[in-house]
Amino acid sequence: MLLASRQLVKHFPLKGSSAFGNPLMLKAVDGVNIEVREGEIVGVVGESGSGKTTLGRLLLGLLKPTSGQVFFDIPDNVLEEYDNYVANKDLKKAADIEKEYSIFNKRGDMQKDIRKKTNIVFQDPYSSLDPRLNILDIITEPITSTGYLSSNEAPKRCFELLDEVGLPRDFAYRYPHELSGGQKQRVALARGIATLPKFLVLDEPTSALDVSVQAQVLALLRRIRTTHNIGMVLITHNIAVISYMADQVNVMYAGKIVETGPKREVILNPIHPYNVALISAVPGKIVKGTKIILKGDTPNLVEPPPGCSFHPRCPESFNVCGWTSGEVASDLKYLIENKYADMFKAETIVSTNANGNVIIRNASIDQVKDLLTLEKDKTRSLTAVDRLSESAEGVELWLWLHQAPEMYQYADRLVSCFLYAPQDEKPSSQTTKP
Amino acid sequence: MDQTLKISDLNVQFYTRRGIYRALNGVDLSLKQGEIFGIAGESGCGKTTMGLTIIGLLPVNAAVTDGQAMFCGERDLIASFTKAGAGETDKFNLRKSEAVVKKVNKELADVRGSRISMVFQDPMTSLNPVLQVGFQIAETVLTHQPRSLAERKLARARATPEDTEQIVNLLKEGADEQAITKYAESKGLQGIETQVLNVWRRNDLGEAKKEKIILSLHSEKLGSFEKIVLESVEKGTSMPGWMKIPGISRAAKNVLLKEGYTKAIELLSMLEVPNPDKVVRMYPHELSGGMRQRIVIAIALANNPDLVILDEPTSALDVTVQAQILELTRHLKQRFNTSFIFISHDLSVLSEVCDRIGIMYAGTMVEVAPTDEIFNNPIHPYTRMLTRAIPRIEGSEIQGVGGTVPDMRKVPLGCTFNPRCPDATEQCRTKKPEMVEVEGGHFVACYT
Repeated sequence: MLLASRQLVKHFPLKGSSAFGNPLMLKAVDGVNIEVREGEIVGVVGESGSGKTTLGRLLLGLLKPTSGQVFFDIPDNVLEEYDNYVANKDLKKAADIEKEYSIFNKRGDMQKDIRKKTNIVFQDPYSSLDPRLNILDIITEPITSTGYLSSNEAPKRCFELLDEVGLPRDFAYRYPHELSGGQKQRVALARGIATLPKFLVLDEPTSALDVSVQAQVLALLRRIRTTHNIGMVLITHNIAVISYMADQVNVMYAGKIVETGPKREVILNPIHPYNVALISAVPGKIVKGTKIILKGDTPNLVEPPPGCSFHPRCPESFNVCGWTSGEVASDLKYLIENKYADMFKAETIVSTNANGNVIIRNASIDQVKDLLTLEKDKTRSLTAVDRLSESAEGVELWLWLHQAPEMYQYADRLVSCFLYAPQDEKPSSQTTKP
Repeated sequence: MDQTLKISDLNVQFYTRRGIYRALNGVDLSLKQGEIFGIAGESGCGKTTMGLTIIGLLPVNAAVTDGQAMFCGERDLIASFTKAGAGETDKFNLRKSEAVVKKVNKELADVRGSRISMVFQDPMTSLNPVLQVGFQIAETVLTHQPRSLAERKLARARATPEDTEQIVNLLKEGADEQAITKYAESKGLQGIETQVLNVWRRNDLGEAKKEKIILSLHSEKLGSFEKIVLESVEKGTSMPGWMKIPGISRAAKNVLLKEGYTKAIELLSMLEVPNPDKVVRMYPHELSGGMRQRIVIAIALANNPDLVILDEPTSALDVTVQAQILELTRHLKQRFNTSFIFISHDLSVLSEVCDRIGIMYAGTMVEVAPTDEIFNNPIHPYTRMLTRAIPRIEGSEIQGVGGTVPDMRKVPLGCTFNPRCPDATEQCRTKKPEMVEVEGGHFVACYT
């Protein structure tokens, strides 16, 4: 395995603190496992704010993770051993492996060696190239600074690289502002492969380019991959680009990977509800299917929704997906005040109590039951209501306890959704509150 | 009045330090009412310049050397530009240009924002960060149609309970817009019909609730000052003179702005913004990108314009939010019969919403055809190359377009695409091809 991450977590501290005095954390990446083999292009796709870029930086060690490991050049059997140790809670043996292979435990020459073998190409070629250096200096900088070649040999290598990315050699003496966007991105790419790395992170390499130029750059990337056998992580929000380039695809949502597997499975036959909606939203498909228009926006990463973080927008979410009493109460309130205003008295009040149940005052239990049967299919949050009871305060709605889905194996892929959990891991009905 | 906009032979150039940049070279375009026209092309091909020319927002170093842009068949939007620019193609006079821009601003003040409006790419920069979004929507209406605001409120004050009951009955019988308007006019309640219909068309409310809201639209109490303000505004098309007195003007505007906020709430609920009554009191930074873009669209639609220019409205948004906005555009077109010009570099986005697509290259339209035709039967080599360059989910091979957009300071002779064209002949290098109609509605400027 060229590169593997295990339970990678990155939380950024924010100013201010929550009600209990804990510092607020922005959970940018939350428990990501990703694997890259040699010469393989692994796609990471997701909306903005889903943690793609942070993940890319973590994989190179440009950011230090809050917890979790990234292993570089680790034999498959060692990785398997590590997974077994972690599963069996044999942490001491796991720590030994971490010490040897984790990029965060390397120092000095070892670290320099990894720097030589990994590199990154950034999104915006306008800002990632130093305007005061000419192209020759830009490309030779990583060559000499990592000690890959001496400064005498570096210019020769630079010319080779310019040939390789399809730029004339005299460009070496030009400055970035003299080049067009596509040419700059080629220079950035030449710099990326200058030390013949084994692993390259491409962070939105074509999103600042025109379609016509994008096609050229993508073709170039494919050629580089085959000639040098470089393992790549391609981060982009453009699903069509991922579909064209990648072998394996990871779909990220709110810092977590929700579906991962080979391209033909994940892109052409998506199953996670988020992925299904994402793929259906891609414009300009030849075969036009039904569009699933998601409601709302990407969640707040400081306090992500509990359970499955996609549940508030999910068209298929059900009882244990993570509905909280607050969500159920606000939906009920909205329905009672608007759509079903004629069914309920004007004094009807919806609130939550300390047990995490929803209380409806000034309404009878039958009315609420009617409302639930009418709306259960349309308003997903109401599926979380387990049973009703009448208390002194009014009608009390008991909710299901929620769980967070794990990654479940489904055919060739891993998917993080209860709909595809194996039978014995399906959340059972005993999870309701006593 | 089927033709909202007809542009013929539009030429725009910019004076730069390194010579004259010919941004547009003879663009022709005609836009029918209720049509979405897409403009696609690489960056630097003049898409945005075209949008800016229509709405008269060109910078001072620009000159319209030739052309016409007839709006609704009644007026030429760029007349003062062309008059000033004609004959002096190589000289740049700053003072003169500034005078022209000033003149155009004055002339177009009654059109911009009310009959033609524009949505820009980045919703963060096109909203004012220090004003509530509701204020920004209300302001547009206040500037252009203060009378409509006064009418709305007065109609509510004048309506009797019997009137609203009658309207609800009409609606229940399935009366259409005209019937309601007719009824409102007969009772002297102009302005109530839009409020009624906006409530009635909402999907998120139950029938009973809608009825309740409509029934409550009567006998609103007005303060004496409010009444004077509203009635005097209602009489004329613009603000009466005494309302320019400082202090009084502020108070009078506030009366109208308050009504503007209720209009804003209606607009936002139509654009499917959740909790619109809270959103109007928010500031742009409190909203997400998709929400902000909806606000900008609400501002654009506030005065029921005839033409909306959308300049890359979804480029800064995520795919799922983009899908929401595209859905909304389709929906709005059906409802208002407004014409849209949809500018985007992404052909696949255009294929989702547009009726017709025009492909631009180096300041000229090279191909105009109905959307399906562009994809199934592209004729111009540039269109063919563009459609082949889009990566698709289905994973077909893609091919880039070699070369780059020409520097429009030195326009290539003949067909502007000839240096990049694989099938260029001697004719292409010397003479510029004209637009010819190949099939019904499919125009192309190419010799092949």
